[in-house]
Amino acid sequence: MGKISAPKSNREFIEACVKSGDAVRIKQEVDWDNEAGAIVRRVCELGEAAPFMENIKDYPGFSYFGAPLSTYRRMAIALGMDPASTLPQIGAEYLKRTNSEPIAPVVIDKRDAPCKENILLGDDVDLCKLPVPLVHDGDGGRYVGTWHGVITKHPVRGDVNWGMYRQMMWDGRTMSGAVFPFSDLGKTLTDYYLPRGEGCPFATAIGLSPLAAMAACAPSPIPEPELCGMLSGEAVRLVKCETNDLEVPADAEIIIEGVILPDYKVEEGPFGEYTGYRTSPRDFRVTFRVDAITYRNNATMTISNMGVPQDEGQLLRSFSLGLELEKLLKSQGIPVTGVYMHPRSTHHMMIVGVKPTYAGIAMQIAQLAFGSKLGPWFHMVMVVDDQTDIFNWDEVYHAFCTRCNPERGIHVFKNTTGTALYPHATPHDRKYSIGSQVLFDCLWPVDWDKTNDVPTLVSFKNVYPKNIQERVLNSWADYGFRGAKK
Amino acid sequence: MANKWEVFVMDLGELAEGKELELTIRTLNDGLHKYTYQRAKVEVSSKLDQFPDSLQVRLGRGQLSDRKFSIRVIERVERMPARYL
Repeated sequence: MGKISAPKSNREFIEACVKSGDAVRIKQEVDWDNEAGAIVRRVCELGEAAPFMENIKDYPGFSYFGAPLSTYRRMAIALGMDPASTLPQIGAEYLKRTNSEPIAPVVIDKRDAPCKENILLGDDVDLCKLPVPLVHDGDGGRYVGTWHGVITKHPVRGDVNWGMYRQMMWDGRTMSGAVFPFSDLGKTLTDYYLPRGEGCPFATAIGLSPLAAMAACAPSPIPEPELCGMLSGEAVRLVKCETNDLEVPADAEIIIEGVILPDYKVEEGPFGEYTGYRTSPRDFRVTFRVDAITYRNNATMTISNMGVPQDEGQLLRSFSLGLELEKLLKSQGIPVTGVYMHPRSTHHMMIVGVKPTYAGIAMQIAQLAFGSKLGPWFHMVMVVDDQTDIFNWDEVYHAFCTRCNPERGIHVFKNTTGTALYPHATPHDRKYSIGSQVLFDCLWPVDWDKTNDVPTLVSFKNVYPKNIQERVLNSWADYGFRGAKK
Repeated sequence: MANKWEVFVMDLGELAEGKELELTIRTLNDGLHKYTYQRAKVEVSSKLDQFPDSLQVRLGRGQLSDRKFSIRVIERVERMPARYL
């Protein structure tokens, strides 16, 4: 694998984005109370350049970077690729890097760690000293963690987890968040800490390098510190926390350390989410008590403003969920030709292209997809053949509407695992993470005769001889039409 | 100066008048601590001049209610176990 030249910190990423025109510097004062959130939301809805807000009301010296990875261009920049790279190119690069050898992190001395430039301990700890934004009007609180990593470790297995669990500031020393029972952290809590009544040490890292954030967001079986190393081509630098034994990315902008309480909860939410809704009301949720805050000089807080498409919650999760499913299906020997989630599905529909070489292949794909660790995050799998361009929604939609037999092609899976964020789920299902899922099998049945039973696709590229197609394309302008020859 | 508070409820019936309630309320006063919470014993009234402080209400999904109240914060209540404070 060639040398990777990806931004190693949030600061390098911002600089690269400004240089390419994919971020704008905002010098005028921006209010943390709704205004910053409104800017980021509009940026997401318009697909605009990411806002780097350098002057935050009440918080001199701090800045915000919003919508860090809400476009494929910024995703390419994060990976050190040409911003104009296509989605298939970016996906191929992700697969190449994440199929390489794991790169273990290195632990550096505290004196060399930028995130230790300022350290707040004891009575000095107060989350209100950070420019925690009110992201959406009507949210249950100011959200500390919208684009970040919550770092924990299983005390027996030693598994390190960086996960993106939303975190609301309840008061200056307390945060609360949504941690689903099927998540890595949820399982660590129910497996070890809660039965013992022990507090779980955590560290929240904000303003991560974009690839560290990508790793925290990816549903990969590879531990996130190693995954981050594989994505960036070099070891990620970690440093030990002040108040516990966890190790955190040394180049992060802000670190919040503390303990997840095993026997006490405060309210959390509601919060606007990637589905485009505030789905669940407030409830008593996992509670984080803060013991220390460390941060860089002139720290930049990252903000993801989730809502209607498209933001990084949809774009990056669609990207990584699709590619991780592709790896899983290929590992099982299934002849998939590609997997894609359209971000505008708010990562709810998985589109799988496959060579339909045997009966039941769509069902096998759906069972693997829904039965995997990825499964709770989407509830629709659509399987199309290898002649359908999975990235072309017009083709996929046509295949769905014409090949999916209402009686034999739609298969509902009941009583599965779902997230509390599904807008279509009942309040009861949301409370207990009960899901239901569906397969849309858009393949021609293998027992249909390919000559006499399978309908012929009537399209320009399918029904005309090559020489006629070329003649028409070459004469297109001469006929008097405008537009590119395709 | 009168304080401004906000509360989230699923049903306005949770804000019974004429008796002491224990609520989780957040401050809407300007400043660094805006939107932080506390648990408190309070009295509320739909008569806006009944108590010195004002109370704004939001419903389950963050919708702002048209109903306004006045509120008296009787005392702050700490429910978090002392070992975590």
